[in-house]
Amino acid sequence: MSDWQPKILAILCNWCSYAGADLAGVSRLQYPPNIRVVRIPCSGRVDPLFIMKAFQTGYDGVLVSGCHPGDCHYLSGNYFARRKFAVIKPLMEFIGLEPDRLQFSWVSAGEGERFSEVVTKVTKDIQKIGPITKMVKGV
Amino acid sequence: MTKKGVKISLEKGLQNQIRDFFKKGLEKGVFDAVILPVRVPGKDSYAWILMNNAKLIDQANPVPPVMPVQGAKALKALTRKGNGIINVATIMRSCEIRAAIELSKLNQVNLEKITLVSYDCPGAVPMKGYNRIPEEMEKSFQNALAGKDFANDKMKEVCGICVDFANSPADLHFGFAGMENDGILFSNSDKGTAILDTLKMKCSEDDSQWKNSVNIIKEQKSKNRIEVYKSIQPEVEGLDNLQTTFAKCIGCHNCQSVCPICYCRQCYFDSSASKQTADYLQDKAKNRGGIGFPRDKIMFQVGRMAHMSLSCVSCGQCMDACPVDIPVAKIFSYVAAKTQDTFEYHAGTTADGAVPLKVYKQDELNKIHELIKNAEPQGSQHE
Ligand code: SF4
Ligand code: SF4
Repeated sequence: MSDWQPKILAILCNWCSYAGADLAGVSRLQYPPNIRVVRIPCSGRVDPLFIMKAFQTGYDGVLVSGCHPGDCHYLSGNYFARRKFAVIKPLMEFIGLEPDRLQFSWVSAGEGERFSEVVTKVTKDIQKIGPITKMVKGV
Repeated sequence: MTKKGVKISLEKGLQNQIRDFFKKGLEKGVFDAVILPVRVPGKDSYAWILMNNAKLIDQANPVPPVMPVQGAKALKALTRKGNGIINVATIMRSCEIRAAIELSKLNQVNLEKITLVSYDCPGAVPMKGYNRIPEEMEKSFQNALAGKDFANDKMKEVCGICVDFANSPADLHFGFAGMENDGILFSNSDKGTAILDTLKMKCSEDDSQWKNSVNIIKEQKSKNRIEVYKSIQPEVEGLDNLQTTFAKCIGCHNCQSVCPICYCRQCYFDSSASKQTADYLQDKAKNRGGIGFPRDKIMFQVGRMAHMSLSCVSCGQCMDACPVDIPVAKIFSYVAAKTQDTFEYHAGTTADGAVPLKVYKQDELNKIHELIKNAEPQGSQHE
């Protein structure tokens, strides 16, 4: 298992975290290559099912990143995202998935460095939890 | 706080009292039509009928033993394209009223011209038992109703753990739990109060006796609820257990189509977007050592839990409709308690307010913030 590397789906808001990721790239900051990025218009667009699907497909972790509270491009999308997040957590517990496989963060467009830190931290966390085996069975 | 209600004599039976009330309402023009359950010609089920003549009301059974179609679905069908010009009244079980309230908050039902009436519900007989031996079931239900028996074991399992049997935000409510020969009709809304006024029904009866009895029954049901949740937990918590429980699921999606809350015109799981190519599936099967069909049995349920458990009213329809007897409603009730608790929400119990995913507060869900903070990189400067 020593060469196992987690696959993490990063769902990033177009207006902040995606731009933050871009800035990290432009600034040549280093972060683990474990994330696969999906750009969405707003973290409020994330349907709980996206996350469950990601786990079913075999992602070991999911990171959803949106704008800081109060900074949403659409004013309130990230507050709704937070509410949805609060529904997914008990559901993950219910089906027996480690809740830490799902992480949420606020990263703004100017925070390239922060983005690389978040990805490093999330990757480490998921590495600790180990590969996902549960959802990958005949679900 | 005690409330005043109209004293109702139950000598002629609750059903007749309710029929009289609706006839009077039609006569005085407080509503123009009613939707009531009428027994089907085959005598083995009931159907919701929109009617406006007193003769038909005589054929209706306002308190039927079964709930073949969740009443909220009838209201949804009627008002899907908005309300009409006439006022319509209906009487339903508490779970049907609560589902209608949820749907109105989700803009799927328009209650503007609808008067909702509810009653102390002794439960509903499972459809599967009823349609085999309808007469017997009619009898046992009537006995439960007349005997004010709210813990009858002939009823659906979820009825035994329903703490809202006498608690709904309907405009008017017929209460009789724990009362001797009388019942009490009281209003929960301005609409209800206006109707009682027009019908010149005087609210002189104190509701404290009724309320006390309801609370005692409620307490017992809460205890049962905890027990049932405890017993279902090992069957369903964790993916392995869920898979075992749903192994026999035939993927018919009955549970979804009878659910009043599952209102999407098309479910993702019925859409072609959810279907995969043979190559993909063969690949999967190779990697996993085999995959099962129909696909997405658990994902379908998890998707429903994620999308609608916040509004689940524990009516038990899904369990009634499952052809392979998976205890779907018990599972949903259990999960719904978890997700609704997150927002201190209790689906359908208050007429105003919004469903949890439609509103937010800027400062809330501190638990989630804890999680976010824990996920923060060390030394990070952010909240
Ligand atoms: S999930 Fe089942 S119990 Fe819940 S509202 Fe739908 S039909 Fe009723
Ligand atoms: S009704 Fe029963 S068999 Fe049909 S999809 Fe639902 S759980 Fe599966």
